[in-house]
Amino acid sequence: MNQILSSAALAATPLILAAMGGLINRRGGIVNIALEGKMLLGAVFAVLVSASTGSWVLGMVAAGVAGLVGGAVFTFCVTRLGANEILAGLGFNTLAAGLIGYALKDRGTYDPSGISVPPQLHLPLIADIPVLGPIVSDKDPVTYLTWLLVPLLAWALVRTRAGLRLRAAGASQDVAHALGLRGLAIRDASTLVAGLLAGLGGGQLALALVGLFNTGMVAGRGFIAMAAFYFGRARPLPTAIGCALFALFDAIQIRLQQDGVPTQLVSTIPYLVVVGVLAFAALSARRPAKEATA
Amino acid sequence: MSTASPASVERGASLRLGLPGFAAALLRALIPIAIALVVGAILLAVTGWDPISVYRLMAQEAFGDWAAWQGTLAAATPLLFCGLATAIAFRAGAFNVGVDGSFVLGGLAAAWLGAELTGLSGWLLIPLCMIAAAIVGGLWSLPAALLRTRLGVDEVVSTLMLNYVAIGLASWIVNSLLLANGSANSASDPIAPQAQLPTIGSQATMTIGLVIALVAIVLFALWSTRSSSGFELRLAGLNPRFAEATGIDVLKVLGGAMVVSGLVGGLGGGVHALGVVHRFVDGFSPGYGFTGIAVALLARNGAWGLIPAAVLFGALASAGATVQLISAIPLDIVDVLQGTITILAAAQLVGLWRRRKAAA
Repeated sequence: MNQILSSAALAATPLILAAMGGLINRRGGIVNIALEGKMLLGAVFAVLVSASTGSWVLGMVAAGVAGLVGGAVFTFCVTRLGANEILAGLGFNTLAAGLIGYALKDRGTYDPSGISVPPQLHLPLIADIPVLGPIVSDKDPVTYLTWLLVPLLAWALVRTRAGLRLRAAGASQDVAHALGLRGLAIRDASTLVAGLLAGLGGGQLALALVGLFNTGMVAGRGFIAMAAFYFGRARPLPTAIGCALFALFDAIQIRLQQDGVPTQLVSTIPYLVVVGVLAFAALSARRPAKEATA
Repeated sequence: MSTASPASVERGASLRLGLPGFAAALLRALIPIAIALVVGAILLAVTGWDPISVYRLMAQEAFGDWAAWQGTLAAATPLLFCGLATAIAFRAGAFNVGVDGSFVLGGLAAAWLGAELTGLSGWLLIPLCMIAAAIVGGLWSLPAALLRTRLGVDEVVSTLMLNYVAIGLASWIVNSLLLANGSANSASDPIAPQAQLPTIGSQATMTIGLVIALVAIVLFALWSTRSSSGFELRLAGLNPRFAEATGIDVLKVLGGAMVVSGLVGGLGGGVHALGVVHRFVDGFSPGYGFTGIAVALLARNGAWGLIPAAVLFGALASAGATVQLISAIPLDIVDVLQGTITILAAAQLVGLWRRRKAAA
C-alpha cells in the first residue's frame, strides 16, 4: 500500500507538470494536444544532456528548452499560420516521434552510460507518518517544486496582472484587443510556457522515474494531462488532483499486473477512468449539450 | 470547451482563392506536401544522405513498376478506409480521432469469425466477417457519440482515450481467449483459406479490399452531394447554429456521423484482417487511424481527394519500408514527412498568403 502511494506520488509529477502547462495554454485559448510530443522531446534531451554533462540539473534545463522550442514551432503554426490546433497538435506529435526515431536510428531504448538522476530527498519524521509519509517523503526536487507550482499558479491566475490578461485573451481575442492587449502574443506566451512545462515533465519522467529514454515511454501521458485539465476545468488544484488520481490508478494497475491479473486489460483502466471521470464531470455540471455545439 | 470545428478546413477553399474549387483544393494539398519534402530533404542532407537520390529511390519503390504500384495501393487500402471514416465525422463537425480503435476491434471481429466459422463457404463467410467488423467498429464509437450528444463531453479526449482501451482490450482478447495453438506471440488462429480476400494482382497484399474501399468512397461522394442527409451532414459541420435554425437536429447528425465513421473504420479493419494479416496480432494497426486523419485533412474531407491522399501516404509507407531495408535510412523519415504534412495541411497557408497580399 505504502509502495503504491509512493510510486503514485512520483508518477504524478510529469502529469502535473504537463497538465499545468496545458491548463495555462487552455486559459489562453488553445487546447494543446501536442503536450505528448513535447514530453517526448523533453525526455530525450534530458537523457542526452544528463549523460553527456553528468548533471541532472542541466538535463532538466535541456528538457525545458526542448519543450520550449517545440512550443514555439507549435504556436507559430497555430497563431500565425491559422492551423487548427487539434490537427496541428496531432501532426506535431507524429513529427516529434519521427524526428527522435530518425535521430536514434531505431525505435527503442536509448540508455547512454553516465546518466545523472535527481536524488530522492528523505524527510526525517515526516517519512514516519502513516499514509502521508510515503507520499511526501523520498521524492526528487522536481516533484517538490511541482507541488509548489500548483498553488502558485492558482494564485497567479486569479491575482496577478499576467493571469488576468491571459484569461482575457483566452476568453475573447476581441475583448483583449479592445483592452489594448496583444492577444496573439499572449497566446504565444501561454503555448511557450506549456511547452516548457511539458518538456520538464518529460525530463522528470526520463530522469527521476525511469532513468533512461525509450521512444514509447511517454505512452499517452500528454493525452492524460490534457484529460486532466478538461476534468479540472482548467483550474490548477482540481487538475492536479485529476493527475494524482490517474497516477494512483496507474500504480494500482502495475501492482495488479504483478499479481497476475491480465496485463492488457488492466492497462486500459486509467484510460477508462479518464472517460468515466469526464462523463461524471459533465453529468454533474449538466449543462445542456446543445450549448456546446454552438 | 469546444474547439474549432474540423469541418472548417473545407470552408471557403474556392471563395478565398478565386480559383475553381478543384484547382484551389489541389494547390492547398500540394503546398504542404512540397514544404514537407523540403523539410525531409534538409533532414536527410544534414544526416549525410543525398536527398535527391533518396527521393528518387522512394519514388521508384512506390511507383516504379506495376509491382511497386501494387505495394503502394495495398498500403493505401487501410488508409482509404480510415481517411473516409475520419472525413465523414469531420464533415459533421465531430472531431472523431478514435477511428484507430474501431479499426482494431473490427479487425479482431473479422479475424475471429474467419477462423471460427470454417464450415461456411467464402461467399457467405467473407460478407459475414465484413458485416461483423463494421458493426463492432460502429458500436465502439457509440459511447463517445452518446457522451458527446447527451452530455457534451468533448469527443477529442474521449475518442483518443478509447483508442488505448480498444488496443488493450483487443490485446487481452487475443492473448487470453483466441491465442493460436502453439503460438506465444499474441496472434490468433489463422482464418480459413476461403475467408481470405481474393487478390487482384500479382501480389498477395492487393485484394478486392481496395475495390471495396473505392466503392465506399464513390458511395460517400454520391451520398454527400446527391442526398438531403448528405447535405445536412455538411451543413451541420460548417455552421451548426444555422443548421439548427433550419430545423436540422445537429446533435443527431453529429452522433450519427460518429457511428458511421466507426462503422467504416471497423470495415477497414475487417478488410485488413481478411486481406493482409489473415489473423489478428498485437500491433494490428500501426496507427492507421492517425494517418487517416492526415488523409482526410489533405483531402479537406472531400470524397475524391481521399484517393490521391491515401495513395500518397501509402506510397510513403511502402517505399519507406523498402528504403529502410536497402539503405538503412530509418523508416521514421516517413513520420517526419507525415507529421509535417499534417501540421501544414491544418494551416491556412494559401489564404494567409493572399490576406497578406491584400493587406500590403
